[in-house]
Amino acid sequence: MKEMWKGNHAIAEGALRGGLQFYSGYPITPQTEVMEFLSFRMPELGRHFVQAENEIAAINMVFGASATGLRSMTGSSGPGISLKQEGISYLSYNDLPAVIVNVQRWGAALGTLDSSQTDYLRDTRGGGHGDYRIIVWAPNSIQETVDLLYEAFEKAEEYRNPVEIYSEAALGQMMEPCEMPEFKERGYDLEWSWDGTDRDHERVDMDQKPIHHTAKFKKIIENEQRWESINTEDAEYVFVALGLPSRVARDAVKRLRSDGEKVGLIRPIAIWPYPKKAFEELPEGIRGFLSIETTDMGQHVEDVALAVKKGFKTNIPVYVHATNQKMPKVKEVIEVYRQLKAGNLKEAF
Amino acid sequence: MINELVFSGFGGQGVLTAGLIFSEMALKEGKEVSWMPAYGPTMRGGKANSVVKFGDEALGSPNMEEIDVLVAMNQPSMEYAEFMKKEGKVFLNSDMIPDDTDIRNDVEVIRIPCVSLAQQIKNLKGANLVMVGAVIKKCAFFEKNFAIETLKDYFKEKGKGNYNEANEAAFLAGFDAIK
Amino acid sequence: MAVARKIPKIMEEPTAFCAGCGHGILNRLIAEVLEEKGQEKNHILILGVGCNCNMNFTWGGDKLQCAHGRATSVARGAKTGRPDTLIISYQGDGDAYVIGLSDTINTAYVNTNVTTFAVNNTNYAMTGGQMSWTTIPGQHTTTSASGRDCESTGNPIKVPEIIAQNFDVAYVARGSLHSAKEINKTKKYVRNAIEAQLNGEGFSLVEVLAQCPTNWKVSTVDANEWLKDKVVPIYPLGEFKKREGRDDK
Repeated sequence: MKEMWKGNHAIAEGALRGGLQFYSGYPITPQTEVMEFLSFRMPELGRHFVQAENEIAAINMVFGASATGLRSMTGSSGPGISLKQEGISYLSYNDLPAVIVNVQRWGAALGTLDSSQTDYLRDTRGGGHGDYRIIVWAPNSIQETVDLLYEAFEKAEEYRNPVEIYSEAALGQMMEPCEMPEFKERGYDLEWSWDGTDRDHERVDMDQKPIHHTAKFKKIIENEQRWESINTEDAEYVFVALGLPSRVARDAVKRLRSDGEKVGLIRPIAIWPYPKKAFEELPEGIRGFLSIETTDMGQHVEDVALAVKKGFKTNIPVYVHATNQKMPKVKEVIEVYRQLKAGNLKEAF
Repeated sequence: MINELVFSGFGGQGVLTAGLIFSEMALKEGKEVSWMPAYGPTMRGGKANSVVKFGDEALGSPNMEEIDVLVAMNQPSMEYAEFMKKEGKVFLNSDMIPDDTDIRNDVEVIRIPCVSLAQQIKNLKGANLVMVGAVIKKCAFFEKNFAIETLKDYFKEKGKGNYNEANEAAFLAGFDAIK
Repeated sequence: MAVARKIPKIMEEPTAFCAGCGHGILNRLIAEVLEEKGQEKNHILILGVGCNCNMNFTWGGDKLQCAHGRATSVARGAKTGRPDTLIISYQGDGDAYVIGLSDTINTAYVNTNVTTFAVNNTNYAMTGGQMSWTTIPGQHTTTSASGRDCESTGNPIKVPEIIAQNFDVAYVARGSLHSAKEINKTKKYVRNAIEAQLNGEGFSLVEVLAQCPTNWKVSTVDANEWLKDKVVPIYPLGEFKKREGRDDK
């Protein structure tokens, strides 16, 4: 039965349904509701909730819990995820699964509490030191948030690598009808996990790490691209947007289509690995791409440009409509498109 | 067809709750629905609002885009009138918004003294529900009894079922205020 | 008559520490206690960052290398996952008391049932001998070339005392490795800490004053004297928080 769920609560319940056993976090707006919810729900279910003394301790507790075989998660917003980066790097390097939730707010430093996507480049490039990546999923509805969290632990265990849920302040605050899946648990011990017996942790020697990790990430790139394409079959212009702005873009496409404009939308669901395949299957004759994002200078547009470079032999212009901490409006996107088509917009790439 | 409703006022005037009650009605009728509260800096200074969208097709933007129905519980809420559709309806709290307030002339204005009405039935906190009743009667989004039952269920779920008689009275006061 | 003791199996490889380094002795003490308690196959050593990183290649039991300063936080997570396994953090003074001070104090504050061994050799040894919060007044290091000036850099930090006096933990002690007698005492502290965890008594911390001839720039023999004469007077030895209902001494 569908019920109205608030995004942040849905994150928590979705993770629990997916088998979450250990959570450690620190209060930060606009993510606090996730941990508040878990703080009473986890003891209720006989699972482990820890309010950590800081973000760094939280991610390191996750490191220890994950190594010993628990489905583990931490969450924060931009500033807190910055503090966790060393820990995320250690998780990936040590081939440990974990789920990280980023309910983003706008800006560098303290920023504001506005909804935004300004952590895009950090989160899709691993974020911490070293050449590694984490799988990053960007839901655009409450139901999708739940479905992705429900799957996240298994995906993290499959590749022994962290998975991040890339949410946004507004997505955490809004409510939508949502069907919660049944509770599931792993039900078996991960044979490589640390249990004190010094068994084989199935790790490679230090000198084999670069080869091993490159292979791991290549496999993820090959198998884990996810996206949704709308009206792209005959499109001349393609919007590219993820998360909440993608819903605005979808409305804009719908309206423009009813006016006879040949526009389409690519919505990356995985933002790492980036869905380059979505661009490879586009028709010939595309005249431009427009990234619609809530960043300041345009971040996602860089991935659009790289995907276009890979997917097309000709040089197709890539534009960006970056709306900072303000959610774009449908009318505004339509106007930007008209300006673009009239040649009044400067290309980003 | 998607309906866009905005409930706006000071924090404490129940505009988030009013939106949630409409969301529940839409959900019960099997419609697609989204509820988006004001958050972050827009809430500073005690301003609050919630945007409810519902309809039979998949919803896109959950944000304030083009408003069909604006419920304005205070003067500052009138700034959202600029986002209204032509022929949209604005329900304003005439106890707090003066009659001489400048309002664009391509929308329908419905003045409801929701605070006085709530006072008359000794349920001052129910001013928001007076507005809910008025919107239901005027726009006929949902059937009257269904709306009342949903409203009661909503408060019962929240452990506030004790107030349901008073809340129904508030709803009816608004409902009957529309001739 | 001297009895040759068997080397614990956990120390399957020769340690990779410098000649005269105290780490090797402490490795041995911990390994012996683990064997005595039958825990060779039921412990996870959470390794901090410092000279003890060498143990990644020599320690014959389960071990997990973590980030600098975070071993006790990792231990908290690991204890949740394996409540019946001994979870031991093995850290240096820079790791446990400087960059990881918050983690150490907070783990003591919540009294998690894990054990921390903190090796105090009064400097950042792995990186070539920089000043630590434990560096003694006037001690020459590569970042206090004229000798540690406590006026501007603070006085030697005494975390065992801080924890014992302020938090409700199971066991806190400080031992030294400068003589056979002190080594034997230190082994008792190690045993108490391990037993405390096995009994579910709560957090235990043993600080171990250790020789670092390489960075003290003294001979391996002189390092024992240096430790005894210069370091021990600043860091009192003994048990600061005894296990409840026990008085082994």
